[in-house]
Amino acid sequence: MRQLYILDTNLRRNGKHMAEEQIIPISKFNKLKKSTSKKVTISVQNITVSYNGKIAVDNISMNINQNEVTALIGPSGCGKSTFIRCLNRMNDVIENCTIEGKIILNGINIYNPEVDIVKLRTNIGMVFQKPNPFPKSIYDNIIYAPKLHGLVSNKSESDDLVEKSLTEAGLFNEVKDRLNDSGTSLSGGQQQRLCIARAIAINPSVILMDEPCSALDPIASAIIEELIDTLKKKITIIIVTHNMQQAARVSEKTAFFHLGKLIEFSDTSTIFTNPKQKRTLGYITGRFG
Amino acid sequence: MSSIINNDILSPISSKRTRKEKLFKICGLSAIIFALSMLIILFITIFSKGYSAFYQTRIKLNINFNEELIDPTGAREITTLNTADYSKLISQSLFKFLNIDKNHPKSSEIKSLISYNSFLTLRDRVLNDPLIIGKTVKINLIASDDVDQMIKGNISLNISEENRKISDFQIEAINKLKSDGAILTVFNKTLFTKSDSREPEVSGVLGAIIGSFYCLFVAVCISVPIGVFAAIFLQEFAKKNKITDFIEININNLAAVPSIVFGLLGLSVFINFFHLPRSSPIVGGLVLALMSLPTIVIVTRASLLAVPDTIRDGAIALGASKMQAIFNQVLPLATPGICTGVIIALARALGETAPLLMIGMIAFIPDTPIAITDPATALPAQIFMWADHPERAFVERTSAAILILLSFLIVMNATAIYIRHKFEKKW
Repeated sequence: MRQLYILDTNLRRNGKHMAEEQIIPISKFNKLKKSTSKKVTISVQNITVSYNGKIAVDNISMNINQNEVTALIGPSGCGKSTFIRCLNRMNDVIENCTIEGKIILNGINIYNPEVDIVKLRTNIGMVFQKPNPFPKSIYDNIIYAPKLHGLVSNKSESDDLVEKSLTEAGLFNEVKDRLNDSGTSLSGGQQQRLCIARAIAINPSVILMDEPCSALDPIASAIIEELIDTLKKKITIIIVTHNMQQAARVSEKTAFFHLGKLIEFSDTSTIFTNPKQKRTLGYITGRFG
Repeated sequence: MSSIINNDILSPISSKRTRKEKLFKICGLSAIIFALSMLIILFITIFSKGYSAFYQTRIKLNINFNEELIDPTGAREITTLNTADYSKLISQSLFKFLNIDKNHPKSSEIKSLISYNSFLTLRDRVLNDPLIIGKTVKINLIASDDVDQMIKGNISLNISEENRKISDFQIEAINKLKSDGAILTVFNKTLFTKSDSREPEVSGVLGAIIGSFYCLFVAVCISVPIGVFAAIFLQEFAKKNKITDFIEININNLAAVPSIVFGLLGLSVFINFFHLPRSSPIVGGLVLALMSLPTIVIVTRASLLAVPDTIRDGAIALGASKMQAIFNQVLPLATPGICTGVIIALARALGETAPLLMIGMIAFIPDTPIAITDPATALPAQIFMWADHPERAFVERTSAAILILLSFLIVMNATAIYIRHKFEKKW
């Protein structure tokens, strides 16, 4: 007999949300669970985000493993960006945005009012769609956050940290002679790597990347992808991307979002070769989205 | 079918459209030409009327500092030196030069060739250096405004004597002085070193410039911090609700309130209620601060709005608090825009006359203000008052003061443009 595991939240909400593809065979679910032998860094539990009462992210639960790349794919407006911004509470600055549910990071719910949002964001860095270096020198871009958090106390420590961060981001050799040039004078790909260097300067355990390559050419994108591959040894990466080849190349796990719902979340190879849901298949084969 | 399409392409409609476009271009161009020509006419008028005020006629005389007249006792006491009749020294020297008897019936006309205030020059010389007494020294004395105007050719000599500011006898004397090389034309230093006076030849704009400077100083100290921080709060921190909407609408309305209303407010609040001194730059500055506050708030908000959200997100994602993100990253980027707006708001305040009218800064104040509580006037107020005087010499001084005010405004606006071009960041 085919056992069914039904996402309990759909029942709780209302019946009409129960579509066929939201019913996942329990055997599959168990297998999925077994395969996650790695340590879970972030556990998302029933997150619902709404703007002015309009639901943007609908009841999503997923576990994100340590030192893995998790890709979020889906058509525009499906809630990927909203979801990723929940993970370091970037949505807090948006007015009329309400968030329900729990996100557990290292055993602590980050939406607990006692959580220090500054510490959270030093732990979970973020890289944005459009490279957004501050219009200051490359050096100042990197050192801004460490100074803010008191991670460096003197000039030589600062110099070391800038060099280390830029090296890890694979940018040091390109900019070592012009650290005092404006960050905005770099090319798009370099700017994005500067933003990554800026994020890793404060030693986060997770980096969220919201379509980091969408404004870059294929060569710059390839460099960023290589960088992601190197970084994941130390850092857990969650990446939103529109580029399915990119998701397939860089990620271990892929989540497919559609209309604010998590349709399918599984190993990247499974998603791209043998998706369980019709909508996933439709999206990855380019039939919609 | 195809012939219709061909006809369509060559139809007169498209040429009609081109004509319309041409017409629009001509209209726009002529509007610009009209505006520019008006500006040029304005500048030419002011400059042609005002440039002559920047030089001044002086009369070079050999003044004999006669000891018998100044200090017959030889005690050199300050009171004696202070009260001596220095005018007599001047008239004696003049009469000697022109070979006129001091009892000549028209001798008073000759005396009035030299500025009435010239005895002060001699007194200051003596007080500075009493050893000058008994010597004969060549001194360039300021000519009276009528002589000045005649030398500058502003007085027509063709009209009859009784309708003329200057008599035939005086003209004769002036011509004699001229032929002997005693009439000099020098740069009008007085205009920049003296304050208002009833005598045009010794009046200057120094007091008005200092008054304006004090007013602006007070206005900057008050309106910039209040305006900028109010704008930062409204733009970045305040929740968008009905109250903030109401405040925003009212700030925009406030920017359109006639400036005389701010003057009335200053009169009733600062002078009548807080009893701050009347005619003082502190009150003027407060009124101008209130007047420029809405402009500064609006400009600051616009500059903050122009900083892309990605900068805020970038800082916040690095663990900066909202306040740190705004003060460390957003505000520095908005600063060039804010500076530009502040300078333009202050340039407007510098040229403002109406609010000063209500708080008594439009007054005859011959003293140069020292403190911000001293009675003072401001440049536009000085222009307004001089424009009221009937003397021909004040007409050119009015234009000269306008030129000075305009040059201040041009410098301020040029600074604003420079800051905008130099420091504005592009994304």
